[in-house]
Amino acid sequence: MMRKSGKIGLALSTPYLLFALAFVVFPLLFSVYLIFHRWDGMSAPVWIGLKNLRRLVSDSLFYQSLLNTLQFLVIHIPLQIFFALIFAVGLNSIKIFRGFFRAVYFMPVVVSGVVVTIVWLQLYSFDYGIINNLLTQFGLPRVPWLVSTDLAMPSIAIMATWKNVGLYTVMFLAGLQGVPEEYYEAATIDGATSFQKFVKITVPLLAPTMTLVVILSTINGFSLFVEPFVMTGGGPLNATLSSVLYIYNQAFSFGHLGYASALGFVFALIILAAVLIQRKFLETE
Amino acid sequence: MLVKGDCIPNYRKNHGPLLSRLILVILAVAALSGCGSGSGGRSDKSGRINLVYWAAPNPQEIQLATQLVAKWNATHPDIHVEMQPLPVNRSTEEVLMAAIAAKTTPDVCSNIWPGSVPEYARAGAIVKLNSFPDFDSLASSRVGMSYMEQFESADSNYYQIPWKANPLMMIYNKKVFRQAGITKPPLTYSEFLADAAKLTYSSKGNGVIDHWMGYRDIRPVWWQRFFDFFALYKAASHGQSFTKNGKVVADTQAVREVLTFFGQCFEHDYFPRTYFSYDPFLEGVVATEFVGPWTISYIRSNYGGKLDFGVAPIPVPDNHTGPVDTYGDHKCISIFSTTRYPLQSWEFVKYLLSESSDLELLKVASQLPVRKDLLSISEFASFFQKNPDMKTFAEEAPYAHEVDQTPDQKEIFDAISQEFEKCSVYNKIGPEKATKELVKNVKVLLDWDE
Repeated sequence: MMRKSGKIGLALSTPYLLFALAFVVFPLLFSVYLIFHRWDGMSAPVWIGLKNLRRLVSDSLFYQSLLNTLQFLVIHIPLQIFFALIFAVGLNSIKIFRGFFRAVYFMPVVVSGVVVTIVWLQLYSFDYGIINNLLTQFGLPRVPWLVSTDLAMPSIAIMATWKNVGLYTVMFLAGLQGVPEEYYEAATIDGATSFQKFVKITVPLLAPTMTLVVILSTINGFSLFVEPFVMTGGGPLNATLSSVLYIYNQAFSFGHLGYASALGFVFALIILAAVLIQRKFLETE
Repeated sequence: MLVKGDCIPNYRKNHGPLLSRLILVILAVAALSGCGSGSGGRSDKSGRINLVYWAAPNPQEIQLATQLVAKWNATHPDIHVEMQPLPVNRSTEEVLMAAIAAKTTPDVCSNIWPGSVPEYARAGAIVKLNSFPDFDSLASSRVGMSYMEQFESADSNYYQIPWKANPLMMIYNKKVFRQAGITKPPLTYSEFLADAAKLTYSSKGNGVIDHWMGYRDIRPVWWQRFFDFFALYKAASHGQSFTKNGKVVADTQAVREVLTFFGQCFEHDYFPRTYFSYDPFLEGVVATEFVGPWTISYIRSNYGGKLDFGVAPIPVPDNHTGPVDTYGDHKCISIFSTTRYPLQSWEFVKYLLSESSDLELLKVASQLPVRKDLLSISEFASFFQKNPDMKTFAEEAPYAHEVDQTPDQKEIFDAISQEFEKCSVYNKIGPEKATKELVKNVKVLLDWDE
């Protein structure tokens, strides 16, 4: 019987194993190989030892892209958690049209990132954008949302929050189902206010969901690409050049696949380190 | 009747081969999908040779390619050509790079950007066209060998032959100019800036500018610089190369002048620092635009009779003398090394470069074939008589230049884009410093490539 189930198991897992070999294991090993080679994707790779890593160490643009990504995360994650939590608590307390409102908040998540980005371009445009048009109608100055080095990344972070908040709202909603109603009843009898119940009951009991949301939004945040790619091209003055956009440019615009592999590998290690630190910190809390 | 335990031998008997078959099928599918040796160049059972030809994916060129291929197939029963539009992507170069890596290149492609040819040649992905005995005679009769020099690779071979050129010129809205009391288009930087001061304004009178002299995409995307910095650099430097034989040979005075000119355009808000999702010239929001002849057919088909426009050379420094050079935005034809039928592919290339095909290129796609006799062939002359705007572009064609035949053009243009953004768009550094930084950065790129 073991043999039979073993064969069936092998047969059933073969498609995944082949998929994993072709699209996970092989690319991973090949990217390690490329770290030590110069390769334009067309001619044969040329061994260059540690040259790619030496270039990376002195590549100021890579450091800038890391700082830009960090800036994005610092704005995006707290914003996302704050609004997702508020929306989740709000949606949880709604008694009518509950499904409708949940769908509305989730809608931006399922819309293509490129489409959302193009729509937000119309909102953010300095000279003809809808937001600036409204501001000027009230006699206020126009805001250089995407053409100021100080505002471009925060603007993108706001847009990304709008796009993704529905996903994390759903996660918090799921977490809220696990909070026993009796706690709230007991707190009400003890005379706790709504705010106190939120801070003392809801937030602590949502800690596991919070950990998940922070880790997922960190990983998603590190992969920031579509928004700067479509909206700013990494500008102004590289202020929105995210690490993934920089790696993409090196690989597919300039044909430096070896160097891009080195950048990608180091970047993956940075993400791993960040997630491990977050987990340790949040789980201890 | 089954007894206990029968299922095991039965399973082995029936499912064992099933498992093997399943794995075999999966492997076969994977192998078939991954082991293609080029998307073209096969002969069928009847002995007919099938070639694959990739054309640019815009509607006019698809129409042109469809017509040309239909004519070819009607007269060449032994060599069948299948036209495929280039797979859509951000750039043709990315598509071709992926195709070369996967060895799925077509036999012939007519949308080759000359700047990428050194890299394709280095990878051995394209065929030396000068290995065909009649290449020299064709190139010299069609284009002239002095013009061909800018398409010669560092190893003194020709891997491409220029098919069409889109010399960049300035298109201007005559109605808007007339309303501002301007009777002729600006030719120099001073004239352009003086006109810009009149044509940049707030139509609502609330101080918020909503009409501009011109517009350029300010995102630091490398190829956008062909249509502003590089074209005006070619004009200001009388066509001077930027790099040659691994060295920077740029006319630094011209670089400074062009950066300064665009700096003034952005500083005085004559060009908006924004990104339009529509063509602001066609909507009457900007008064001028730097364009190639493809715009003419687009305006005719979409704005016929509604837009009163004129065509003039791109602006030059005030002390400029002589003809106005420009960027040519050439597209060349190459044969890929994956072809099994180079001679037949070359025959098809010669057909694409024939006088009759070139006339179709003019009529259907409103693009200029690269020919030295462009203005003297009688059939062409009648076309230009009916289309005087296209004639203006054709007259500019001999002064249209291409990017240099050195590798890493994309990264060089990215370096240009970075300095253009810093100096001209955002005025963070002066033209002097930007020029020095640009030369230094391009040198680093050339050294890295050695």
